[in-house]
Amino acid sequence: MGLVGIATEKILSSFSVFLFLTIILLAVARRISTSVLLFSLQSAIITAEVLATGFQEKLASAYLVGILIFVIKVVAIPRAFFVLTKRLKTVHDVKASTTPSQSVFVVAVMIYLSYAAVHSYGGAVRAPGDSLAAAIALILTGAFLMVSRKKAVMQVLGLLVMENGIFLAALLTTFGMPLVIEIGIFFDILMGLLLMGIFMFRISDTFEHLDVSKLRRLRG
Amino acid sequence: MLLLLPLMIPVLGAGFILLFRNPRFATRAALLVGALEVLALGAVIWQVHLQGELQEGRYLRADALSAFFLMSIAFVSGIVLIYSSGYLRHTGEGRFSSPRWFYALVFMFLFTMISVCLSANLGLLWIMMEGTTLASALLVGFYNTEGAIEAGWKYLIVCTVGIAFALFGTIVLYLAAVKAGMSPASGLDWISLMNAAPGMALDPHLVKLAFVFVIVGYGTKIGFVPMHSWLPDAHAEAPTPISALLSAVLLNCAMYALMRYDVIVSRTVGPAFSHTLLLIFGVLSMVVAGLLILVQRNLKRLLAYSSIEHMGIIAIGLGLGGPLGLLGALLHTFNHSAAKSLLFFGAGNVRHNMGTLRIDGIQGISRTMPQTSAALVVGGLAIVGLPPFSLFISEFAILSEAFAQAHYLVAALFLIVLSVVFGGFAYHLFRMLCGKPGRRPENARLIPSEYISMGIAALCVLYFGVRIPHFFNVLLHEAMAVLR
Repeated sequence: MGLVGIATEKILSSFSVFLFLTIILLAVARRISTSVLLFSLQSAIITAEVLATGFQEKLASAYLVGILIFVIKVVAIPRAFFVLTKRLKTVHDVKASTTPSQSVFVVAVMIYLSYAAVHSYGGAVRAPGDSLAAAIALILTGAFLMVSRKKAVMQVLGLLVMENGIFLAALLTTFGMPLVIEIGIFFDILMGLLLMGIFMFRISDTFEHLDVSKLRRLRG
Repeated sequence: MLLLLPLMIPVLGAGFILLFRNPRFATRAALLVGALEVLALGAVIWQVHLQGELQEGRYLRADALSAFFLMSIAFVSGIVLIYSSGYLRHTGEGRFSSPRWFYALVFMFLFTMISVCLSANLGLLWIMMEGTTLASALLVGFYNTEGAIEAGWKYLIVCTVGIAFALFGTIVLYLAAVKAGMSPASGLDWISLMNAAPGMALDPHLVKLAFVFVIVGYGTKIGFVPMHSWLPDAHAEAPTPISALLSAVLLNCAMYALMRYDVIVSRTVGPAFSHTLLLIFGVLSMVVAGLLILVQRNLKRLLAYSSIEHMGIIAIGLGLGGPLGLLGALLHTFNHSAAKSLLFFGAGNVRHNMGTLRIDGIQGISRTMPQTSAALVVGGLAIVGLPPFSLFISEFAILSEAFAQAHYLVAALFLIVLSVVFGGFAYHLFRMLCGKPGRRPENARLIPSEYISMGIAALCVLYFGVRIPHFFNVLLHEAMAVLR
């Protein structure tokens, strides 16, 4: 086994630790820019896992998917976020409704829950337990970020973290979906982000803020 | 080739319509494209009727169930386009908010919904389902008012998250399929999954887990309680033709997606699991929406809650299964589409003329707007399920199935909610129809686009209540055979 082979094994076995690290840091991050950077880092880790899987399973299409993720999630989306926050002249605070320590506690509970879930379904899949737990923790944390952060930008970021988790789960359990479907899903995400961008501009034009918790005219 | 036609026409048509800056030309172009689209859908439905199944490449397929849903898409999109041609006459020019953008987005929306029904692959189906959210979000926020933007944002976020769960469910099902020895290429193809279903029973947990995620995910789009929070806002704030499309077509398409999974899961782990879940969501949606109908203050929100209630009825029909349950559920999707379009068109006229949709601000319209009031009364009587209208038949079928299977609790709740809804609708309608006319409407007489569209919908609701056309009946039974 060459050097690449060893690196591949290490990536698949131990990179989930870094994923847990990114979600704990996301829980305490107070600035939007920090959160965006953490998302970018998280996507980079997932890119590495995709490439490693591609190498191990000798799947050529995985390299293409890896490149796509790198370009879209590590480079393009974070850049778009920076441009957007600059243009919208929003303040940097994420406006969390929980204190950082509470958030860390919630995320810790979610990591525990994901291990519990993997434990009960673990026999059904041959994926490494830690990585699968990380994928589920990403989904849960993304949902938590969406409900606990009031900024529209952070809601979109939470959605992306969730999507990262789903992608990772798909990769680990099935080595990815067929390529056409994978590309279609990427396209949907891009279009969705574009639309969310349009709506963020409209919200800030009409309401002069980006605080989604103040959007509460429609009730009942 | 035939299956590509109804997909190409709306996409090319959307581009074609964007060429026309003049609203009148844009409207005419839209009507032309719409007519072509309805013809193409008609041809597909007819071919499915003759051949039983159409296949195009690896990713497109139409069987009787798809054809049945295509029929309601063709019907509703046709009358919605006719109605829009008059409705948009007061709309000005704005960024994404001019008539030409309206029609272009409507055709993109139609494209995604038709693709949902024609997908042979559950992954493609998911992509197109997410596409429906994306295509319609700008339409929900079309008026650019505070309410419209809030509703659009909520719609986009809630549905995207919901649909993400459906993706996870799809992945889990794919995993179960691949583990059961299916090739990765066919592991998402619904017909291969249906045929291979008994073989996947090795992993019943995975298949059940998949269905839970899928019912939560697509259930968000269907508007099942408690994932319904986007639905009343989006329906109330969208332009009226879009409310009709959302309620009468989009919810049906999401229901179609759920049906495909239901068939696969039922064949794998037996019908008890998925049908119980459908019954729970159905009864919950029906009861909660039925009670909320009583306290509504806005006409379109009232109609939106009624849509949730009717989706609950359809889910109950599916959950009961059996010949009458399935017949009722499928028939109800079509009947509800026709009646709800009629009601939304009426609500659109009220809004145009009275300038408001608040029920306490609308009084005495039976004197000032007799024709619109007549439409609202016909639609109202139909939607609460009174004979001789078509919804009576489908609701009656579902109810008799519930009694036949001795689901007395479901049957009792069903009857109670129907009577509560009847009371609620009668109360709200009487308040609007009677009383002293507050404000003179601007132009109470219907223009041709309005009476044609509303007339077709009203006739359909009435005619299907008296007898079901032969061709429709054959297609209905073929579609039921798919679900068996």
